[in-house]
Amino acid sequence: MGDILKRLREDIHFMEGFNSCMNCGVCTAICPAAEFYNYDPRVIVETVQRGDEGEIEELLKSDTIWYCGECMSCKTRCPRCNTPGLVIMGLRKVSQELGYFVHSEKGRQQYALKHVIGESVLKRGYCVTPDLVKPEMHPEQGPVWEWIYEHMDDFYDRVHGNLRKPGAGALRAVDAESMDELHRIFDVTGGTEFLNQIESYSREKAEEEGTDLEEGYFLRTYMENSGNHQ
Amino acid sequence: MHTVIIIGGGPAGCEAAYQLASDGIQVHLIEKNNETGGNLNNWYQLFPDRKNAQDLNKRLQEQLNHPGITLHLGMEPSRVEKDGQGRFSVSLSDGSLLEGDALLVATGFKTFDAKRKEEYGYGIYENVVTSVDLENMFRNHAIRTSKGDVPRRIGIIHCVGSRDEKVCNFHCSKLCCITGVKQAIELREMLPESEIFCFYMDMRMFGPGYEEMYREAQEKYNIKFIRGRLSEAAENREHQVQVKVEDTLLGRPLRVTLDLMVLLVGMEASNETQGMARELGVKLAPSGFILPLDPHYGNNLTGEKGVFITGCCSAPMNLTDTLNDARSAAVCITRYLNMK
Repeated sequence: MGDILKRLREDIHFMEGFNSCMNCGVCTAICPAAEFYNYDPRVIVETVQRGDEGEIEELLKSDTIWYCGECMSCKTRCPRCNTPGLVIMGLRKVSQELGYFVHSEKGRQQYALKHVIGESVLKRGYCVTPDLVKPEMHPEQGPVWEWIYEHMDDFYDRVHGNLRKPGAGALRAVDAESMDELHRIFDVTGGTEFLNQIESYSREKAEEEGTDLEEGYFLRTYMENSGNHQ
Repeated sequence: MHTVIIIGGGPAGCEAAYQLASDGIQVHLIEKNNETGGNLNNWYQLFPDRKNAQDLNKRLQEQLNHPGITLHLGMEPSRVEKDGQGRFSVSLSDGSLLEGDALLVATGFKTFDAKRKEEYGYGIYENVVTSVDLENMFRNHAIRTSKGDVPRRIGIIHCVGSRDEKVCNFHCSKLCCITGVKQAIELREMLPESEIFCFYMDMRMFGPGYEEMYREAQEKYNIKFIRGRLSEAAENREHQVQVKVEDTLLGRPLRVTLDLMVLLVGMEASNETQGMARELGVKLAPSGFILPLDPHYGNNLTGEKGVFITGCCSAPMNLTDTLNDARSAAVCITRYLNMK
């Protein structure tokens, strides 16, 4: 058995999600991502079932595994009680471990997620806080958000928030003791190492391309769109 | 003279009764309904020869006129007991008592309750029917939507309640594939202008003439076969049924709007089959059907001495195999009685 298959079989999501597939297509028929992207969860499970390391490696380097929204609709329908969504989780993890994610546009967005959400969790104890949603990076939020962003402290006072301040209330600062505990959890469970891996593979890729990781490379993960996803 | 008690008057029970009686054995045939024939009573035409199902039923009924056969219609066994000499006594629902030297269980199957696949909308959407409902429509020569219109696009859904862990049925019901082909052809004959689709995973054409019939459905009757299993259905404001499947041969998700959707319901052990198994201490297979002693040499035998099985109480079977199985059971029982 090759390295990739071995890693997959060590993954609890993968083992829970994959029994055997008869290619009925129920997962693809119910899949919201399959309606919008050039994406077919049945084919992914079939590729894994065939067990060809080369084919699976190609999959791990492709955009394909990053289209899934992990909504788990597939779990509710599969007549063999597979969960393609969990198979995808397993594939994503191996792609992250082996650094294959930097080969695809959607995969490279792992760095954006790590840089924004991952670091935010470690710095503040929140995935996202309002000040992180910069209007220039999120034009989809529209002019109302832009106004709120410019008047952030006043706005959150008016809606009885406690933005980044000590004490109780929504959006309060997480105290130092809780943050210590959070960091310990990340260290013990492998979360810290996992994020560092994303960072180092992305840095390598940025250096290879001669761009700065936190500037050019980071922006590229937001702006890049080949238009070949549908 | 030996006596055999047969429980269940479907095709298997009827044929076994006739074969045993022809060998000079006294037969008591117990049937819960007021007529024999079982599930065959619900069928219009048979595959692959399109024979009228009621002709076969009639023939099986006529065989029961044999003087060696006593028919107990509208009766159910309320208790079965076995004494030390291997004789069975069966109490009937009217309080009478039958005695016999062997027991033949021929309690058959029931069709899958399509309401258990809620996402298919049977009993919820107006234009979703089962293959059994469709046979009834054929008999009345009226294929109409709930509004009384001619359905212009019809979808036949394979594997409803079969090969589906979600409803705890791992087994293949085997007959639905060819039933779908037969019903598609019958629909085409009645509705030459309509579009007819079959949504399938595998076409399991196991019997003689079946594969040829499937081919004919494609070549002569213009039935469209799409390889993809139904994921779910929804109803639109016109009460049409919108189905979601993947065309797995193209690798594309597909939505089709149907005027009528037919669910090919699979087969499960009947309640009477499971009840008799419990009463007699006979083992069930994981599929819920009665487990034969041996799949090759002992498929009419059970772990209980003197208790025999035949027909669809042990597995889904077509009529040809059911009638063969009944004759095979008769041979086993005759041999058992002669050795007694």
